[in-house]
Amino acid sequence: MECLHVEEHLTEYVDRSLPAEELATIAEHLHECSKCASLLEDVRSVLVTCKTVPNVDLDLNLVERILLRTSGRPRTRTLREILSQHVLRPILTPRFAMGAVVGLLFLALAANLMMPKVSTLASTLSPREMLRWADRGVQHLYSGGLKLYDKKNEWQAEFTFFKNNVFNKLGFMIEQLDVPVEGKQDSGKPRQQQEKAPTDKSTVLLSPA
Amino acid sequence: MLTGDGKLVERCLQGDDAAWEAIVTTYARRIYNLGYRYTGRTDEAEDLTQEIFIKIYQNLKAFRPEAGNLLNWILKVSRNLIIDHYRQTRRFQHTAGSEEMETMNLSDEKLPDAHRLMEQSEASRFLRDGLQALSPELKEAVILRDLEGMAYQEIAQLLNVPEGTVKSRINRGRIELAKLLVKRRSQAGMQL
Repeated sequence: MECLHVEEHLTEYVDRSLPAEELATIAEHLHECSKCASLLEDVRSVLVTCKTVPNVDLDLNLVERILLRTSGRPRTRTLREILSQHVLRPILTPRFAMGAVVGLLFLALAANLMMPKVSTLASTLSPREMLRWADRGVQHLYSGGLKLYDKKNEWQAEFTFFKNNVFNKLGFMIEQLDVPVEGKQDSGKPRQQQEKAPTDKSTVLLSPA
Repeated sequence: MLTGDGKLVERCLQGDDAAWEAIVTTYARRIYNLGYRYTGRTDEAEDLTQEIFIKIYQNLKAFRPEAGNLLNWILKVSRNLIIDHYRQTRRFQHTAGSEEMETMNLSDEKLPDAHRLMEQSEASRFLRDGLQALSPELKEAVILRDLEGMAYQEIAQLLNVPEGTVKSRINRGRIELAKLLVKRRSQAGMQL
């Protein structure tokens, strides 16, 4: 068998698509001819390489350009792309990282400052403290009530004193004005009668003694 | 009775933008990879992908569900445009090997170690360089069969040639590629 014949049927030999007799004949030749055997190995190597050739990743911008140039409508974004574009991309920046670090530091400091207060608050909210607080509140209310009561009595006494003092003074002044010329016999007359004759009193007062 | 592809295209023709977006998102990656394997350049592959989808959008009415599925129709349109692109440029350039490292799909659960990654990258680069050196017919056949994983019959339908011709082209393409890779490896070994 000639090498040329083997070469012509090499692919079919690799694919095992030849009749059994033909396959056996070619196999025999390959066993004897190192040149053809070497060629077979090289072809097999090509086939293995072809299988390992990777696919090239498609840039989604190309799809976008195609759609804009044909239907005129932009590509529909998936939820992941929308999140990536509007949330993750703005977040994952050096500025955001710096801000996050500063924020965390601030929170850590705030927590550090708040910790004693938190413990105080916890002890304040204990039942024993609550009872003590309620007791103090009641005492405060009671003392307030007592003070108000005292104040009320004080104001009442002052009013009574003022009332008595003023009215007594007025009564005395009236009595002074009410002295009759003839003597003291008319001084005990009712006030209404005195008011009925004011002209008499004035005349009496104006008259020479 | 319209199939899934037929309904999808029908919706597109009625002005349903969501249906068109579904078509683009479903097939864009495959067309982009096909363009990349033909041209060996990401920028050219991007341009080609855009052109292909614009062409598809303009010719959606020409799609006949009874003649085959949507993928085959899209591949036919793509192939025609890629051939046109080849005729215009007359050469398919290739890029530096570092690009392979950057774009490598690392979706496996176990990430390959650096050494394996380097070897894989090197082998891919040799393969891509070798492919660019093949004649367009052989390169096309090898890409569709060994990189795109299409069946002989599908390739025959796509290229509109007999299945025997497809097999022959693939066989010749593989052998030439193997010889080229051996040569390039030996040259690289001598340089090192």
